[in-house]
Amino acid sequence: MPDLAKPVDYAVPLFVLLVALEMLWAWRRAPEKYEPRDTLTSLAFGVGSTVAGLAFGGLIVAVSLWLWQFRLITLPWTWWVWIAAFVLDDLAYYAFHRSAHRVRWFWASHVNHHSSQHYNLSTALRQTWTGFFAVSFIFRLPLVLLGFHPAMLAFVAGLNLIYQFWIHTEAIQRMPRWFEAVMNTPSHHRVHHATNPRYLDANYAGVFIVWDRLFGTFVAEVDEERIHYGIVRQLGTFSLLYSVFHEWIGIGRDLRTAPWRHKLSYLWREPGWSHDDSRDTSATLRARWLEDQPQP
Amino acid sequence: MTAIELIKLFASLFAIVALAGFAHLLRLGSDVRIRNRDHAAQLAGQAVYGFTATEIALDRAGFGALLKDAQGRQMLLRRHGAMWVGRLLDRSIEARLNQAFLMIGTGEAPFGKVTLHLGDAAPVWAAGLRHLPAAGGNHA
Repeated sequence: MPDLAKPVDYAVPLFVLLVALEMLWAWRRAPEKYEPRDTLTSLAFGVGSTVAGLAFGGLIVAVSLWLWQFRLITLPWTWWVWIAAFVLDDLAYYAFHRSAHRVRWFWASHVNHHSSQHYNLSTALRQTWTGFFAVSFIFRLPLVLLGFHPAMLAFVAGLNLIYQFWIHTEAIQRMPRWFEAVMNTPSHHRVHHATNPRYLDANYAGVFIVWDRLFGTFVAEVDEERIHYGIVRQLGTFSLLYSVFHEWIGIGRDLRTAPWRHKLSYLWREPGWSHDDSRDTSATLRARWLEDQPQP
Repeated sequence: MTAIELIKLFASLFAIVALAGFAHLLRLGSDVRIRNRDHAAQLAGQAVYGFTATEIALDRAGFGALLKDAQGRQMLLRRHGAMWVGRLLDRSIEARLNQAFLMIGTGEAPFGKVTLHLGDAAPVWAAGLRHLPAAGGNHA
């Protein structure tokens, strides 16, 4: 396996510097954009996620290399393959991310990234510890079978993650129109982190917002409506361990108490689904919100 | 774990402590309080979409509130850092009345217990908590 650098390792000092600069911006403009305990939890998520990556990353590489021997074709290490790898990896990210919001099993891991009620650069570092357990990496495996080398895919995935850091901010309102049309931006991603019913389950893009425009999941930010961030049922705690595992705990409780014929549905149905309709899903919330809108 | 990885890990730990300290130094965050009934109703509607408060009891210091809607649902609203969180209450709650103070635990340990200074309204709301739905019946 070629020994490529890990782009995220080189980006970490920049992440730290930008978080500090955004804190200074908040200090001058809007101190409530940061909450020290929330920030500490987010940053601890980031470190824990790095440790989980060290613990399980090798296994993902091993699985990828094993699969690579069954590749359809062998793609060369040329510039156009790098570009194709970056673009297709972003499409795979879109598929993963959409599933992570629509299937509770994947959501149990991804919810970590959404559990802050704040939206700032420290929120970007609120990464999951349980992605390996949730087998989230399977969404990139088709690219391995297609013929992209796992080392190349790991490198472009790192670049993808770095890109997504800067969009977690309220300090930037809008980018130029051409940029907003093609790329994921702070405005588009604020919508993704919102709990306002109009915004639920939208804007899954990593780097290129065109995937959402293509697949019908794009929603534009409305300046007149204040965004509320987090999850539909806010955690109400800064406890790191509870924040990491709360959805897995919820799955365990539902599996234990649900009737047998419904147990599996608590794994693969959308977050909020329940066999007795006693809870809300994002679809039911959005439908109710649509009913509440004044008719033209 | 290699020596380089260990160094990176300790550097990351140092960075997060430094950043958290910087946030404290700058006094980031906000001392948010519920300003009035309208504000409480607005926060409750944000906590649970579709919850339109018809009766409201405010904590004297503005740290929280108890609210009821037309469907008879009751919500506990409380401060969480610079934000707000709410829970629809059910029979799994724990409540204790102490003159003008009403302590409520939602039955959800990480959410914690909340003590509200409700003044004369405290006994009335404490009595109302006897008529909550069964657990799991009204969660958003």
